[in-house]
Amino acid sequence: MALAIELFRSAPRYLTARAVGDRAPGLIAGPLAPLRLSTRPDPEPQHDGWVRVKPLLSGVCGSDLATIAGKSSFYFSPLVSMPFVPGHEIVGELLDDAGPDLSSGRRVVISSVLGCATRGMPELCPNCAAGDYGRCDRITLGDLKPGLQTGYCSDTGGGWSRMMLAHRSQLWAVPDEMEDRTAVLIEPLACAIHTALRARVPDGADVLVAGAGTVGLLTLIALGRFANAGRIVVAAKHPRQRAAATMAGATEVVRPEHALKAVRRAERAVKLTPERGMDFLLGGVDVAVECTGSKSALDLCLRTTKAGGRVVVSGIPGAGADLTPLWMRELELVGAYTAGMEDVEGGRRHAFALALELASGLPILDQLVGATYPLEHWREAIDHAMSAGRLGTFKVAFAPQD
Amino acid sequence: MPRPGFVLDVDERTPPLLVHQGESFRMQKFPLGTRVVYPPDPLPGIKDVSAAIQHALLHPVGDSKPLPELLTPGMKLTIAIDDISLPLPPMVTPDIRQRILEHVIELAARNGVEDVELIVATALHRRMTSAEIERMVGERVFRSFFPKQLYNFDAEDPDALTSFGMTDHGEDVEISKRAAESDLIVYVNINLVAMDGGHKSVAIGLASYKSLKHHHNVDTMLHSKSYMDPREGRSAINDSTVRMGRKLAADGVKVFQIETTLNSDTFPKNLGFLNKREWEWSAYDQGLMMAARKGNEIAPPRLRREFYRRIEAPYKLTGINAGEVEAVHERTLTNLHRQQLVEVQGQSDVLIMGLPYLGPYNVNSILNPILVHCLGLGYLFNMYRNKPLVREGGVVILYHPVPWEFSQIHHPSYIDFFEEVLAETTDPKQIEALFEEKYATDPWYRHLYRTGNAYHGVHPFYMWYWGAHGREHAGDVIFVGGESKTVARLGYRRASSLRDAIEMAKDTVGSSPSMTYFHAPPVMIADVH
Amino acid sequence: MAGLREELKAMAEGFRWGRRPMVPKSAEPFAPEREDRMFPTDWARTEAGTAVRQVILHTMIGPMLRNEVTIRIEGRDRLSNVRGPMIFYSNHTSHLDATIIMTSLPDRWQSKTAVGAARDYFFDVWWRQAFTALVYGGFPIDRAKGGKGAVTQARELLDEGWSLVVFPEGARSSDGHAQRFRHGTARLCIDAGVGAVPIAIRGAYQAWPKGTNWPKAGRPPVSVRFGSPIVPEEGETHQSFSARMTQGVAVLLDEDRSTWWEAMHRAERDETPAIAGPQGPDWMRRWEGSRPVPRRAPGRTWK
Repeated sequence: MALAIELFRSAPRYLTARAVGDRAPGLIAGPLAPLRLSTRPDPEPQHDGWVRVKPLLSGVCGSDLATIAGKSSFYFSPLVSMPFVPGHEIVGELLDDAGPDLSSGRRVVISSVLGCATRGMPELCPNCAAGDYGRCDRITLGDLKPGLQTGYCSDTGGGWSRMMLAHRSQLWAVPDEMEDRTAVLIEPLACAIHTALRARVPDGADVLVAGAGTVGLLTLIALGRFANAGRIVVAAKHPRQRAAATMAGATEVVRPEHALKAVRRAERAVKLTPERGMDFLLGGVDVAVECTGSKSALDLCLRTTKAGGRVVVSGIPGAGADLTPLWMRELELVGAYTAGMEDVEGGRRHAFALALELASGLPILDQLVGATYPLEHWREAIDHAMSAGRLGTFKVAFAPQD
Repeated sequence: MPRPGFVLDVDERTPPLLVHQGESFRMQKFPLGTRVVYPPDPLPGIKDVSAAIQHALLHPVGDSKPLPELLTPGMKLTIAIDDISLPLPPMVTPDIRQRILEHVIELAARNGVEDVELIVATALHRRMTSAEIERMVGERVFRSFFPKQLYNFDAEDPDALTSFGMTDHGEDVEISKRAAESDLIVYVNINLVAMDGGHKSVAIGLASYKSLKHHHNVDTMLHSKSYMDPREGRSAINDSTVRMGRKLAADGVKVFQIETTLNSDTFPKNLGFLNKREWEWSAYDQGLMMAARKGNEIAPPRLRREFYRRIEAPYKLTGINAGEVEAVHERTLTNLHRQQLVEVQGQSDVLIMGLPYLGPYNVNSILNPILVHCLGLGYLFNMYRNKPLVREGGVVILYHPVPWEFSQIHHPSYIDFFEEVLAETTDPKQIEALFEEKYATDPWYRHLYRTGNAYHGVHPFYMWYWGAHGREHAGDVIFVGGESKTVARLGYRRASSLRDAIEMAKDTVGSSPSMTYFHAPPVMIADVH
Repeated sequence: MAGLREELKAMAEGFRWGRRPMVPKSAEPFAPEREDRMFPTDWARTEAGTAVRQVILHTMIGPMLRNEVTIRIEGRDRLSNVRGPMIFYSNHTSHLDATIIMTSLPDRWQSKTAVGAARDYFFDVWWRQAFTALVYGGFPIDRAKGGKGAVTQARELLDEGWSLVVFPEGARSSDGHAQRFRHGTARLCIDAGVGAVPIAIRGAYQAWPKGTNWPKAGRPPVSVRFGSPIVPEEGETHQSFSARMTQGVAVLLDEDRSTWWEAMHRAERDETPAIAGPQGPDWMRRWEGSRPVPRRAPGRTWK
């Protein structure tokens, strides 16, 4: 019998959370959360290539919170199968042998996308064949119930439990010297690397990173390693985030309300003030990366990017941003979702491999997990995660075995 | 399982913290990175106090016989008792001294001792009123002995003092004649802070001005770093007291010392939040705190003072030892440190302390500005071992309204000290040289001390010297919320908020100083490494 | 007034009103164990608490239950000469089980019985704790850790004379058939020297299976059958006792399905149908498990 946190369908909770949520965040972590702690029978691998994993640490991600708070788009409804166990940022221990170098007892991180290989599809879809696993077209078919990732599928379990299932193709071995606290960040770091590469920053170009929470900070680090940018301006809300961004190599770190002015000064652009809405620039940075999932940050990115520039959306975008600048300034709006094979110097490599390499040399990663909670205290965990920025924490994680 | 004291690092998750300021308190949000020193949880009390007292009296420590063997018919017995300056706040009756006295007197009666006198060891403190004495010793003892055989010590009665000459350091030793000529002195002590007890009990508690002068002076105070650390060589006042006590012992004065230690249950249930760590306050505690604050604000001053005056501490006994002075005191200090010691790593640039409404010298009275100085830069500042919490030249920030208020009955010489002496100079050495003699020998003060309830004429000087080490060590002292004229007279500065105080401190410690908030009361000692 | 608003704002933010309280990071090593802060349940087993529970069970829960299902109770006479605390156990297929057992117990047992409930479900928030403790005299069982932690409290209750209601399967069955009994209950009976009373509940799965939110309409029939106590023998192992416990429920279910006479004979011949149900695919097990329980009309007086 394994303890797990389950997310279940509950229309009344969804609607109430959506209506009330922002004004009473305490209720989201309490009676309004469509989550329950349940004891399910241990999941058994049903098909070849599947093994059992014992999660050691599993992070709480912005998308998890959006789902719990009733803020996620209905677009996802056919892409998930309820009830599911959330948790896709995982470092765990193998309970079965999964291949050479992946014997039982080994620590692994999990590339959570459930593509063709995991679903036992006889033929790979063109995207999986090309290595762009995040773009798989078959995520609702095959051996498993619909689910875009582990952590959204009722057949696989997820990180917020004492036991889950993973397919061999999802597993990456963790070096012995890497701490659990660092390993749990490999998945978001891999996504950040993918984002940095999707941004295709021209040599010496100027970049704006909106947000310096976990996503923004890791993206900043990835840009430092995989892009050859000129100036990188980071807009961050909380003092601890700003301090971390400075340490991680940002050229300039400002509060969100001063970001537009900072970009204007740096790019010597012209600032215009519309009668309603945010100021915007004619001119600006070459590439802006949106890392907060909020409407105002996306607006900021669209309005501070120069004509012909690129805006990269790295998390589920908040609804309601004004897309006029996209058309008017002929911007490229680029989505960056999970991670797969990436083109880097030296060839084509999986973002997880790149992340594991990058993480070994980054002491700052040890500091990002600010608090861990056992599964029974999920309400505290969710409450903390929802105000993580204000509380000076980057990442909140579950330690399911405690 | 009582938890040890610890040092908190203020982070984003820390709620506002409680800071005492006289007869009030405030919730202060401290800047991130401020260290806060918290005392250990109160230790559980001894369940059977009577049995513990009996055991201590029958099984003395050190070179001493059990008390019954020391009590013989026809002997002259003097029992000396710690006065109203202990404990703070006054403890819920029955006071532990009452319980001990009842055991001692029972033994005395059974062993046929008839010549018994009980002296409240006030030294130069004020006389206790009869009501205060009755509360302390209990109705039985009071009715049996008061007033002929239960009285306050009179240090200014020339016929009631005996001189023992000088120690090898040239210090006059002169104590109560009755005590000196007794066959046995039984001393009943409450060791609230590390400075109390040991040889101090008899050699200071029953001593005259001539004797006290030798260690209650600026030089000794400046060489007591700190006087809450009685290890040899650290506290000049303690070393002097030990010499005096040993001289008395060598000259035949027999003392049966009974010392007690209490836990840190300082505040009653209706103020329970004052004893708890802020993030552990329940909704009920938070409600109580806000009600208390509001009550403080709207109550007229007299009512507020009365409310605070009536606070009684539910202290529990954590240890009692009896027998030979030095052996007993060593065990007492071990017990005391178990309850009060907190490890702190390193000093900081700024020390912040909230001053409560009560010190040893204003029980049932008013905390006047000089006593505020003594409480802040004297007692609380010196609650350390090894090094002060603030570095030399650092800034001390204190919270107290410092009102220009004095008690005519209890502190008459203080008023003149404040108006005459401090107006001239605030330097302790100069004050000592120019004014001490005058106040110490003034006949009017002497009269009030001997017949009224006034502290001795010289007492405000001692209060001023008590903070001499603190004054010398700190680069600047800033009072948050203090009355400007009063604070200026004391020679300090004032600010209206912590932020302003830190701004003012910039000249001394720079713009991002390290800060430590000493979260006392309850009483604790910072072991600074 | 502005001062008061400012103050309240500072307090609300600093003390996280409406949110979960937080411990500053540097104070975490000294935070008291969270278990100490859990809402205790002993208050519900005081005289006052028990009195209130009896009233609630008789005037509210009982009638509510009989409104939702048609309940038939058999076998209570087997308890008439039994003394001392017992551990009542049954097969577990529905949320109705604890309620059925508590309301079916004779009064003298009911007033001194505590139900063991899963800590992760019934004791996570204060109001669920309060409800479980008050209405069922509930005490927490940590089922994820194999139930070892709950043993101490269970032992204490038994020593104080309280009978317990436990479900040795640990969780409700999802197909109506019983799952393997876990050994914790057997161990407890042997260690405490206390007997186990088997109870078979049939029809609860049909009335309110796992996964639905309320019993089915139409007052589905449910039958509760008490068995004679099974007492641990000298030196008996827990595996053996557990097997006897399983057999106890199996015989009662057989008795309920057929007749007492036939069930007794089958038991003699070791032919009692296993409570784990048929081997086979999931659908078949569920099919068998959800077979409707026939309604027994009151016997016709005149033929």
